[in-house]
Amino acid sequence: MAKTYDYLFKLLLIGDSGVGKTCVLFRFSEDAFNTSFISTIGIDFKIRTIELDGKKIKLQIWDTAGQERFRTITTAYYRGAMGIMLVYDITNEKSFENIKNWIRNIEENASADVEKMLLGNKCELSEKRQVSRERGEALAIEYGIKFMETSAKASINVEEAFYTLARDIKAKTEKKLKEASNPPKGGHQLKPAEPQRKPTNWLSRCSLL
Amino acid sequence: MTALTQSVPDMEALIKDGSNKSALTCLHCPSRILNASVGTYVEKEFSLPAMTKLKSQTDTENHVLKDFWKVSDMFHFENVGFSHTADGVKYLTCADCEMGPIGWHDLQTKENFVALCRVKNS
Repeated sequence: MAKTYDYLFKLLLIGDSGVGKTCVLFRFSEDAFNTSFISTIGIDFKIRTIELDGKKIKLQIWDTAGQERFRTITTAYYRGAMGIMLVYDITNEKSFENIKNWIRNIEENASADVEKMLLGNKCELSEKRQVSRERGEALAIEYGIKFMETSAKASINVEEAFYTLARDIKAKTEKKLKEASNPPKGGHQLKPAEPQRKPTNWLSRCSLL
Repeated sequence: MTALTQSVPDMEALIKDGSNKSALTCLHCPSRILNASVGTYVEKEFSLPAMTKLKSQTDTENHVLKDFWKVSDMFHFENVGFSHTADGVKYLTCADCEMGPIGWHDLQTKENFVALCRVKNS
């Protein structure tokens, strides 16, 4: 059968337990069909299809399956990962402090050029906030990665976050492909900015458990 | 554990040239699972745990099913969830509402099977 997609990206969700990773894995929980059989064994990963600039992209998204409780994740889990969503909970200071440990874990185990993004989840719980947006931004700048505050529950930025990460991986992949087939000769190429498309789909429907 | 056999009414209408005539969506939510013509119809007996059970039930019933769409590569799915390994297979679910099992993934052959009666042939 002919290839049904242009790119395949493996993404991981990483962060302390309880920060809402499973939810960022966009479970449609408001209307979740909670079959006891499936919830007992748990979901390993999901395959999602998105479209970016006319390209069909398959995302394979893995949850850490409780490994994060040991505050470390094995090399095997990181193998082949092209993007990592680092998730903390804005109402939980400890989960934010641990992001540094997670980044160290990633540096030790994942491929050096893995695309990372920082998400401060549960931003709908402003009255319980312990981590300011500015601190989140500052940390992201320190590591040179993108940052967003998300609310899986209120469907804020979750979809945007996944599109942003996928778009950055796509750009990196295409740059590598281009360089491989056509080594740079020192000149600069200017390219008009591509319009930001905002399709409606599954990510906007996610909500917090 | 009770074994029930379920069949699909008017199956011929769902098949075109051995493949799924229309796209497959979840029975419970609008999530698209598979595009048209991507699955191959196969007749194969397999026992899948029931998707629902009564509160009074403690055991999960198993249903013996025989009509499946075979999907040779997991990345041919549009949206789907894979459970952790149980009973030597990975069960398939809707990626959005997690309704399932809608089928299973064979760890040896890497083939995937979606039960005709557990998805909507939209």
